[in-house]
Parts: sequence; structure tokens; C-alpha cells
Amino acid sequence: MMVPNSVVFEPKPRRKKRLSKNVRDAIVAYSFIAPNLIGFAVFTLVPLIFALVLSFLKWDGANPMEFVGLANFSRLLTDKTFHRALCNTILYTAGVVPFTMVCALGLAIMLNQKVLGRNLSRTISFFPYVASLVAVAAVWNFLFSPTKGPINLMLNALTGIPIEELPRWAADKNWAMFTVILFSVWKNMGYYMVIYLAGLQGVNQELYEAASLDGANSWQKFWNVTLPQLAPTTFFVSMILIINSFKVYDVFITMFAGGDNQLSDTTRVLVYQIYNTAFRALDFGYASAMAMVLFLLVLGITIIQFRSEKKFVA
Amino acid sequence: MRRILALALAAVLLLGLLTGCAAAPAAAPAAPAPTEAAKAAEPTPVTLKWALWDKDLTVYYQPLIDAYVAKNPHVTIEMVDLGSADYMTMLSTQLSGGADLDVLCIKDIPGYANLVKQGHLEPLKGFASANSIDTSVYGGTVEQITIDGEYYALPFRSDFWLIYYNKDLFDAAGVAYPTNDMTLDQYDALARQLTKGSGAKKVYGAHYHTWRSAVQLFGILDGKNTIVNGTYDFLKPYYERVLKEQKDGIVQDYATLKTSSTHYSGVFFNNQTAMLNMGSWFIATQINKIKSGESLAKNWGLVKYPHPDGVPAGTTLGTITSAAVNKKSVNKEAALDFMNFICGADGAAVIAKTGTIPAVVNDEVIAAITAVDGFPADDNSKAALYTAQKYLEMPIHEKSAEIEVVLNECHDAIMTNNVTVDKGIQDMNTRVQEILNRK
Amino acid sequence: MNKEKKGLRSSRMMIYLMMILLAAMTVVPFIWMLSSSLKLSKDVFTFPMQWVPEEPRFQNYSDIWTRIPLGKFIFNTAKLSVIVTLLQFFTSSFAAYAFAKLRFKGRNFLFMAYIATIAVPWQAYMVPQFIMMRQFGLNNSHMSIICLQAFSAFGVFLMRQFYQSIPDELCEAARIDGLSEFGIWLRIMLPNSKPAISTLVIFTFVNTWNDFLGPMIYLTKTELKTIQIGLRMFITQYSSEYGLIMAASVVALIPVLVIFLSLQKYFIQGVASSGIKG
Repeated sequence: MMVPNSVVFEPKPRRKKRLSKNVRDAIVAYSFIAPNLIGFAVFTLVPLIFALVLSFLKWDGANPMEFVGLANFSRLLTDKTFHRALCNTILYTAGVVPFTMVCALGLAIMLNQKVLGRNLSRTISFFPYVASLVAVAAVWNFLFSPTKGPINLMLNALTGIPIEELPRWAADKNWAMFTVILFSVWKNMGYYMVIYLAGLQGVNQELYEAASLDGANSWQKFWNVTLPQLAPTTFFVSMILIINSFKVYDVFITMFAGGDNQLSDTTRVLVYQIYNTAFRALDFGYASAMAMVLFLLVLGITIIQFRSEKKFVA
Repeated sequence: MRRILALALAAVLLLGLLTGCAAAPAAAPAAPAPTEAAKAAEPTPVTLKWALWDKDLTVYYQPLIDAYVAKNPHVTIEMVDLGSADYMTMLSTQLSGGADLDVLCIKDIPGYANLVKQGHLEPLKGFASANSIDTSVYGGTVEQITIDGEYYALPFRSDFWLIYYNKDLFDAAGVAYPTNDMTLDQYDALARQLTKGSGAKKVYGAHYHTWRSAVQLFGILDGKNTIVNGTYDFLKPYYERVLKEQKDGIVQDYATLKTSSTHYSGVFFNNQTAMLNMGSWFIATQINKIKSGESLAKNWGLVKYPHPDGVPAGTTLGTITSAAVNKKSVNKEAALDFMNFICGADGAAVIAKTGTIPAVVNDEVIAAITAVDGFPADDNSKAALYTAQKYLEMPIHEKSAEIEVVLNECHDAIMTNNVTVDKGIQDMNTRVQEILNRK
Repeated sequence: MNKEKKGLRSSRMMIYLMMILLAAMTVVPFIWMLSSSLKLSKDVFTFPMQWVPEEPRFQNYSDIWTRIPLGKFIFNTAKLSVIVTLLQFFTSSFAAYAFAKLRFKGRNFLFMAYIATIAVPWQAYMVPQFIMMRQFGLNNSHMSIICLQAFSAFGVFLMRQFYQSIPDELCEAARIDGLSEFGIWLRIMLPNSKPAISTLVIFTFVNTWNDFLGPMIYLTKTELKTIQIGLRMFITQYSSEYGLIMAASVVALIPVLVIFLSLQKYFIQGVASSGIKG
């Protein structure tokens, strides 16, 4: 796949002509990219670069800016609240990404079979993703309410553990993160299932037939055919999941914050910290420095992922 | 040939985008109507943009506008609803972006301090003295929002906390109604007497909403401490009291309330609590919801906020809603005039008629509120509206926004039993100190 | 043979069991939502929960249209979602084609730059962006939301991943047949990426439909606002009308589900069924 096909099919051209072909190719390629790139550059890239420049400044959003060098970054090193937020975010990501991927892939494979009611099941599993967050978070919190919520009542009936000793879910600092991870997986797995379903359609059926002839069982087929064929999809899903998990904000706010939009120590995430620093403390420079850390973190992961994509996807 | 086609298509798309985007700015600047030049002796039409929240569900905005426009027919007032949840943040963003807002509602003190810091608000001292506005009618609240000798907003609504009680539940328990000089200990004892039943039918003696103010601010009623001075050991007895009530099942569990988004109004409406400590804003809601049939607590009353020993009755927490003018407003004169109207006596009369407590409080205003159909008829309820001393829920401080974040977080941790009271208070101390010490 | 059948049957059973479990997990909350939408707000969060309201209050469903201009909000949201989705689809599938199937200088760098920007949270550059939009005179117009949403890097990323799984040989063959790059995109890539297109369309549509912060900042005029802002209008400073929120959420869910159902058949109809293999 990574073999430059054009070389195979074309007779060796003279040097000068080849150059102009390169240029022509580039023009064609860029004209394909341009409609998106221009909109993207103007409306996202420019403000974004400005925000990154801000990380070296002190700015309250209105008064003149002041250059402070690396002061914002050195402050990050000792800011315990920030460290906490960073750890929480990483913890959340580590929970959500694999959990969602497994659930989504499982669902997709299950609902790719020719079984009765699969269309209905697909639609149903997509429900949580399309529903408005305010409404489903309220539902979820209600179901998981510590002393009187149906989930704990049911657990109590099933296990006999007294209600007081059952997890207090969102209200319990030790369970809060788990609860929100569960919620996120539940809310988003339907969407990633759709991506996987789409990916599954691209799997070459002949490979299965060949594997059957070789006497492979279902597990071997899954491991040796489905998974490698799904590699680009998996790469995409994991990438988007990681990025979205690092950027998580809404879910935490609607799950935990109540009316005052405030999060506690165990549920404070990076973007919340950025938002608070920028808009409550009016420290846009410092907030940008935090965003920069997030950016570099994800960039690092992206590069690693890309390297491995080249290795495995080809 | 086909590549040229591809190129052409891309170019067309691109052009379309560019013109699409370029066309819009041409249209937009036409909208903001009057300019400085248009101001002549004869009143020329002015359109003021008024930033506020909960536009459709707040009862007094439209009456205020109607009353003002009746006197000033050349003025049109356009409401701009920025939503209630993150109102001050939205307002700050809009102003930083240069939005053409004229009159601004100020929802909370930390947000106000931020806007002042950003230089978005028009200073009012000069305006007030030029128009001989007497700020003493606001009962000391203007002084509490003064920063470096200057103030940038005037209150138009001044709520304070009191106790709502359910007369039917008191009657059923055979307990005498609370009085206007109730102490905190009496309040606690009363709540214990009134707690009855179990399961879905359980009646709780009292109810604390999940806001920090509902618990923490008992601590500042003696006037010895403020919520921004950096040490919070004085809060300990109050936390211990409420946590004990929670443990004894006198009040509902904080964690349950918070996770299930239980709203205090539902608890009161459904006869689930005998007493509720809440702000005066709830008066109008309760009256309206009895009329609509949603509130089952039809027989209710008001008394003054419970006070610690040695503090005069009628000492309570206040929260003000104020109005300000955008420093960059092109209609500043008209904006100031409208602001002055809603914050002044005329505006107060309009607000009082809706059952809401305006910032200017006098006998006429109280009479107007108690005359609202559905206000409890007993004398104690009427007397409860007179306050002795109001402490702002959040006093003005340069860093009040940041301090508030910490206090809320620690409150949450203590009330959910995730940390002990001592540890929680210690956290408040260290983290607020850290904020105060940072330049 | 028999044994295999048995195995097949038991695995079928497993699948059905899982499907029932899945249905329970996702449907129960929605039944609760539906039942809450027929209650008074004060009764929404009462314990023990009532699955069937004693006195179903259908009035909630008429109230939501009169308390706030919900009809207008739905129209606005639908308009925005359709325009954004169309633009997003065209621009990103174009760009993705170049990234996946064309070779040019700076390709990898540009692509990395695209992805990296997805990583920066919007909250970090919200204010600069807002200031810029105001200077273009775009605030308080639907154009601002369109410009904001239509050129996301996400769409490019998604389409590129799917285009990669379409064999290069197909494109090469088409090139030899004299098809232009645009022709390849139109005749080969598009028909072969229906699953990807439907995924992108659903994603973009749902995102625009459920976006809150963007419209909140850019659209302050009531007649421009969208459905998510409308939903939150029921959460006011002093009260939350959860009965109405649930009713409006149920109504808001319907259009998105219609989109999903109408695109559903394409998830299973991609490369495999269009007769082109490997």
C-alpha cells in the first residue's frame, strides 16, 4: 500500500518533466484540500495560534497584554490543582478509551451478523449518543442515586449488601471517576459502533473464505482477518477517543457540577481547569499554557500512533 | 482536461465560501441603529440592548421596560438573553469581543469584580452625584460593592434569606409555628420535633439546598468573620451541626440531593420538608406555583432567618442583583437613564408589584409585596420582610471569583463526607491563602 | 455437521442474550425520560420512582411550544445542521481524498497539523475566535456557526481513514482508463465510501444539533437561537423545569433518529455490496 504506485505504472520520464509533474500533482492535491483548508485556517488555525502565543503573555481578556516569557509554564510545575486535573484527565482517558473500543467493536461485530432485530438494536444502541446531554445525565444520576436510586436498590436485592455499604457512585470520591467513565462509555459506544460497522463493510470477504478453507475457527478469523483489516478504523477510533477524552468537559459539568458549574478535586479535569482559569480567574495566558500542555501531550500520542499505524496498517 | 474541471470546481467552492463570508459583514454593521451624531435636543429614537438572563421566565423585565418606555417613548429596549447558568462568563466574553450591549444586569459579585478588573463597566460615582442619587436608600449595599472608592453598578433587586415553613406540617405535628426571633439552636430543636415518618412519606424537619450559602453563611452572621479573609475555622460548629442533622435524618442527604439534581422547590412543594431556608426570590415562585396547582404546600408562612446567639434577630444574608452600563456603549446617556430608572424608586415599585423584592426597600414597597395575592396573611410573615442587617453572600474582593471556586469545592467535599470537617476547613485555609498570597 | 449447528445455535443464543441486555441498558433510561416528560417538574425526582405517572401530564408537550419559541429553535437548528453537514461532507471528502490517495509535498506535515489542532480544546481559543468573528461582523448570524463547524479537521481525518482502506489499485486502474482525479473521487471513492459518508453525516449532524456553547456565545438574539439553548432555558436561576426539559428532549431526539434510520442501510452496504472486491 505504501509502494508509490505511480512509479510502477509510468515509464521513467526525463528529469525536467518529472519535476513539472510533481508540481502539477501538488496543484491538483492542494486544490482538493483548499476548500477545507482555507475555512479551517481562517476560523480555527488563526485563533488557535493566537491562543498559543497567549501562553507567553499575561492577559485578562480586555486590558493590554504583557509579555511574561515562560512564567506561565514555570507556574504550571508547582500548581497542585493543575497536576490533579492532569492526573484525573489521564485516569479518565485510560478508562474510557479501551473500554469504549472493546464495547463498540463487540457491538459492531454482534450487530453485523444476520440476526433478528439487528436494525432495531442498532438504533437503540445509538439512542444515548443522540440524546441531549442535559437530559441523559439527569436520568443517569437519578438511576445511580446513592440511597434511593434504582441501581443501588437492585444491587441490594441481588447481593444482600446493605445500601449504606454499596458504592455511592457520583457522590463518592472513590467511585465518581468510575461512574463518569461508565456513563461516557454508555453514551458514546453507539457512535463508535457505527464507525466500526462501516469499517467492517470494508473487510474483504474472500479472506474469510480463505481462512475457512485453512480450517480457522471464529476466534482465529477474528484475530487474523477482522482485526488487521480493521486497523485503519481502530487507529481512527482510538485517536478520536483519546483526543476527546483529553478534551472532556461537558460530561463532567453536567454530571457533577449542579447549578454552580464547579467540580471537586476528584473530578476536576483539564479543560475545566482551563475554562476556570480563563473565565473565572481572568488569566488567559495561564489558561493557554495549560492548553499548550494538553496540545503537546496529544501531539506526542498522535505521533506515536502514526508511527505504529505505518507499521501495522500497511 | 478533467483536472482542470476539478480545479475549477474547487475554485468555485472556494469563491463561494469567500463571498459567503464576505457578504455577511456588509450586512451586519447596518443593524446597530443610532449613533452619537443622532443625539439632538429633540429625542431621536434610541435602541438600548439590555443583557440579562432567563428572559421569558422572569416576571419583572417586561413591566420595567413597559413602565420606562411609557415615559420615554423614543426609547426601544431590546433584551439580550445570555442564559442563566454561566451568565457572567458569557457577559464577559461578549464585552471582550466588543458586543454592542448598553445596559448590563450583574448577577453575582465575583463576576462583577471581574468586569471591573477588565474595565468593561462605566464608573457611576460622578453620574450619581450629578443626578443627586442617594445611595443610602440601598441600605449599605453600594458600599459593599465599592472598589477603590468607586462603584460601577447600582442594585435593583435585593434578596435576603429567610425561613419558609409549611403550616400544615406544623399543625399535624402539633408544634407551634416558628417566630421571628428564632435562634439557630431553636431552629435545630424545631427541625428535630418535626421530622416524621419514613420512606416516600417521610417529612424532614428542615432542608438545606446544595448551595454553599445554605450552610456556610450561618458563620458570618455575627459579623466577626468574612468569607474572603482566608481562615475558615469559624465554620466548624456550623458544619458539624448540619452534618449531624444529616446523619440523624433530620434533613435530606446532600449527596443524594446533588446527584439527583433535586431542586429545593420540589421538596417544599411536595410537603416533604417543614422548614426551608432560602432566599426571598422563592416568594414569587411559591405564590405562582400554588396558583398553578404545582405547589401542594398551600398553607405556608415566613419568618426571619435563624440567628446565632448574641446576634440580633433579622440579621441575614443578602444577595443583590444590580445593573451597570457598558463603558463602550454608544448610547451611554440613555443607558444610564434607564439604569437609573430600574434601580430607583419608580423601578422598585414596578418590581415589588411582581412579588419580587427590589433594592430600594421602604414601607410602600413592603406593602406592595405583602399585598400581592397569595402572600401569607399572618403578621409574622409580613414582619419577616424587615431585616436588621444584611451581609452579602459574597463580599467584594479582587479574587472573590477564585476564592468562591475553592469554597464551593471544599463545601462539596465536606457535605458528601469525602473529607472530615477539619480536613475540609484546613483545605479551605491553605488553598485560599495560596490565592491571596499570589500576586 | 450437527455439532457445528449446535455451536452456531448456542452462539446465536448468546447474541440474543447480549442484545436484550443492551436494550435494557439503553432503553430503560429513555423510558424514564419519556415517563418524566409526562410529570410535573416537582415529581420528576421523587423516590420511589414512578414508571407510569399517576396523572400523565400531556400538557408538558403543548407547554414547551408556548413557553419558549421551540418551533423556531428547531427550524434554526435543522437549518444549521443541514448546511453544516453538507459543507462538511464536501470539503472534508475532497481534502481526505488528497490526503489518502495523492502524493504531494507537505502531505504528512499538513495532515499532522490537522490532527494536532483537534487536540486543542475549544475553550482555549474561544475568546480570540470570538473577537475575530466579531471583526468579520459574523456574530449574531448563523454564518458564524456554519464557519465554525463546517471545516473541522475531524471530518478530514475520518474520511481519510476510510479512503485508505479502498485499494490503490482501483484508483490506478481508473487513472490508466483516463479518469481525472476528480473523476476518481466522484466515480470510485464516493460510491465506495457510503458507510464512511453516512458516519460522517450522522456525526456532523448530531454534533451540530446538540452543540450548546457555540450557539450560546454567537447567537444572542432569540430568533436565531437553537434547540439546546432552548432546552436550557428551562433551567433558570431559581428553578429547573425538568418535566419540560424531558418533553423537549424527547421532541429533539426525533429528527436525529430519523436521520439515523434513513442512513442505517448504508452502514452495511459499502465496498462489499457494490461488487468491487480487493
